[in-house]
Amino acid sequence: MFSDVMVNSTPSDIAVDIRSVTKKFGERTIFGDVSLQVRQGEVVALIGPSGAGKSTLIRCVNCLTPFESGSIMVLGHELHGTNEAKRGPSREMLKSIRTETGMVFQSFNLFPHMSVVDNVALAPVLVLGTSREEAREQARELLCSIGLSHRVDAYPRHLSGGEQQRVAICRALAMKPSLMLFDEPTSALDPELVGEVLGAIRALVDRGMTMMLVTHEMMFARDVADTVAVMADGALVEIGPARQVLDDPQTDRCKSFLSRVLQQKAPSANTSAPSMGAQIAADAPTQEHEQARDTDRKRKHAEEVER
Amino acid sequence: MNIGFDTSQMLHGAVLTVELAAGGVGVSLVLGALGGLARSRGPRWLRWLIVGYVELVRGLPQILQLFILYFGLTQFGINLSPFTAGFIWMCFYGTGYAIEIFRAGISGVHPGQLEASTALGLSRFQSFRRVVLPQAVARMVPPLTTFVILELKNTTLLYIIGVPEIMYHANLLASNSQPLNIYLIAVGFYLVMNMTLGRLGAYVEHKMSWAKS
Ligand SMILES: Nc1ncnc2c1ncn2[C@@H]1O[C@H](COP(=O)(O)OP(=O)(O)OP(=O)(O)O)[C@@H](O)[C@H]1O
Ligand SMILES: [Mg+2]
Repeated sequence: MFSDVMVNSTPSDIAVDIRSVTKKFGERTIFGDVSLQVRQGEVVALIGPSGAGKSTLIRCVNCLTPFESGSIMVLGHELHGTNEAKRGPSREMLKSIRTETGMVFQSFNLFPHMSVVDNVALAPVLVLGTSREEAREQARELLCSIGLSHRVDAYPRHLSGGEQQRVAICRALAMKPSLMLFDEPTSALDPELVGEVLGAIRALVDRGMTMMLVTHEMMFARDVADTVAVMADGALVEIGPARQVLDDPQTDRCKSFLSRVLQQKAPSANTSAPSMGAQIAADAPTQEHEQARDTDRKRKHAEEVER
Repeated sequence: MNIGFDTSQMLHGAVLTVELAAGGVGVSLVLGALGGLARSRGPRWLRWLIVGYVELVRGLPQILQLFILYFGLTQFGINLSPFTAGFIWMCFYGTGYAIEIFRAGISGVHPGQLEASTALGLSRFQSFRRVVLPQAVARMVPPLTTFVILELKNTTLLYIIGVPEIMYHANLLASNSQPLNIYLIAVGFYLVMNMTLGRLGAYVEHKMSWAKS
């Protein structure tokens, strides 16, 4: 998969450097003084309870939302807080950042009025100036590599959720990004469709793509991420190697979050030592786990629709 | 066809009705698109101005609006011909409705669409032109169909200030003939016109069938 995806590298070893960033919505502080580094080729999984600000943090990285103070270096571009910089980032810089950064959303956000191939080819034509034929050809290749060759001319509404999300991944990859941001890419999917999307993400990881991945799939995070950052109560409460953080959390806040997640996943598991290791021993997802995730997904979806 | 009176007058009236409606719809759509855009993206003062305008159009009885234009303005020495006053009112009224239709169409597009196109590096204009607008237009087709039909029917009100549209002639003829027969001709005219418009709207809607969710 993705044999033709080129992973660019920039001179610096650090792809994303978030330095004491504070983000508010109106008067409310969503998170304060958050710092996080992502090296080239590193996969950082961002986990934490709902409403912790995980989405907001990765949206600061590609400037979908401004932040108040601190700074973020993205692929060599410097972004500053609105309190510190007199003027916002220039159009050229925003364009560079967004061109070099791909984003995949929880709710797919495919363009419903375009066929699958046009969804993927749109931005290369408009932003990179690729010719229409070439962009469509590249889009077809990408879609083939992700197993959607038979869906290129379909419209998004005719696709399953898993297919839509894989198209969304292709759409982001068509810009040949050096950094991918995933915001809960599988949370809106039926459980049986999660695997195909995770498979596509794993293939990208294998190609050496730098990633920030917000997810509730702890097993997957443990598997593919180099680093796990836990966000809670407006701060990053724990950052470290994936297995270390998930199997042996150090802070109380992280412990309680993980125990709640794992408890929800497997109520029968040993609750006194709610570590990922124990979870893996238990392995096969229980009925309750599937149900819990299903209700969670439906609630999320309802919220999404409400907005 | 001889049904006891001269139908050519009615025909002239019908032509004028179509002209008034088509002109009013055309002007209203252009101004409504600009107004709707300014209403959702423009500076604050302009938004308020447009909100006020829409409230006037929506809140006042149509006859009152028309009479102010035609009779009221004479107080300032502005003497509009029935046709001019009528046409201006058609545009004034239609623009108010069109603004609302465009505004609702634009704001009905899921915000995730703009986010996705922005994240891909499209400029604000490109995002609007290529992603938001096509979806907004698709949502607007049914209300726009209703709007065009409404404008066509609104032309009958102009009969009151003496614009010689189809109702004007129908009333003239009805006074010295069998009124129901005359009115049935008008019924036929409006039904044919509006059903055609309705079919046209349904066709365009069908063409944009990707928009059905
Ligand atoms: N546009 C906005 N305006 C105001 N408040 C917002 C906005 N977007 C998010 N918030 C608030 O910011 C907080 C963090 O939201 P965010 O979506 O980043 O959380 P999250 O960690 O991604 O949660 P989830 O797991 O549910 O996606 C929430 O309390 C949310 O209500
Ligand atoms: Mg989120």
